[in-house]
Amino acid sequence: MAHRPDVLALTRSVLRGLVVLNALYALAIALLLVATLIAPDLLFRALVGLKGAGSWELHAALRAVVLIGIVGAYVVHRVLRELQAIADTVRDGDPFVADNARRLQAVAWWVLAGEGLRLVVGTIAWSVTRYVQPLQMHIGFSLAPWLTVLLLFVLARVFDEGTRMRADLEGTV
Amino acid sequence: MAIVIHLDELLHARRMTLTELSDRVDITLANLSILKTGKAKAIRFSTLEAICTALECQPGDLLAFDPSQPSQEK
Repeated sequence: MAHRPDVLALTRSVLRGLVVLNALYALAIALLLVATLIAPDLLFRALVGLKGAGSWELHAALRAVVLIGIVGAYVVHRVLRELQAIADTVRDGDPFVADNARRLQAVAWWVLAGEGLRLVVGTIAWSVTRYVQPLQMHIGFSLAPWLTVLLLFVLARVFDEGTRMRADLEGTV
Repeated sequence: MAIVIHLDELLHARRMTLTELSDRVDITLANLSILKTGKAKAIRFSTLEAICTALECQPGDLLAFDPSQPSQEK
């Protein structure tokens, strides 16, 4: 049991680090978006090579993907913030509160949104290959994130019920 | 709450303090205070049995229903 506080402290440190890394990632993508507007020819040649680099469809598609990347960074930020809040309640010694059930549900929605964004990126990559050379974007499909979303929704419900049961027990003598 | 607890009256009639009752029924003073002040949401049969044994009374002596009181918040 003596190791638990250390694990919690490590978790909180990792979450803080991930928030910073995610912010840097968002900044890098934002800079990439600016670069596609300031020096489009140079950037698109570097990204996709000479063939198809001048296609406006490809330009639009890559800009859309970059924009979705920024939205994705925000989604990850929200997930990390909710997890930080949950970790804080564990540190304070009272994690079985209604707010945490709501936070878990919020995380489930954000993860679902993230998967939705992945599908949009995949659709953009697929649609643009009809006009230009195949775009090398390995989106792939995995069942794990969808199962994670389901698991999070179930966990949120379990947490909610558990919190209510505890509230009932607190008033029992 | 519409359920009224007469613990104070029963203790007074038996010249017993809440602390003494707490010792006899092995229930914490804090929990008995919650019961006495009507802040409890529920009472276990085991608690009721222990209090009735210690105070030599019936559950009906301890609990009463008063419809004029506002019902408990959920």
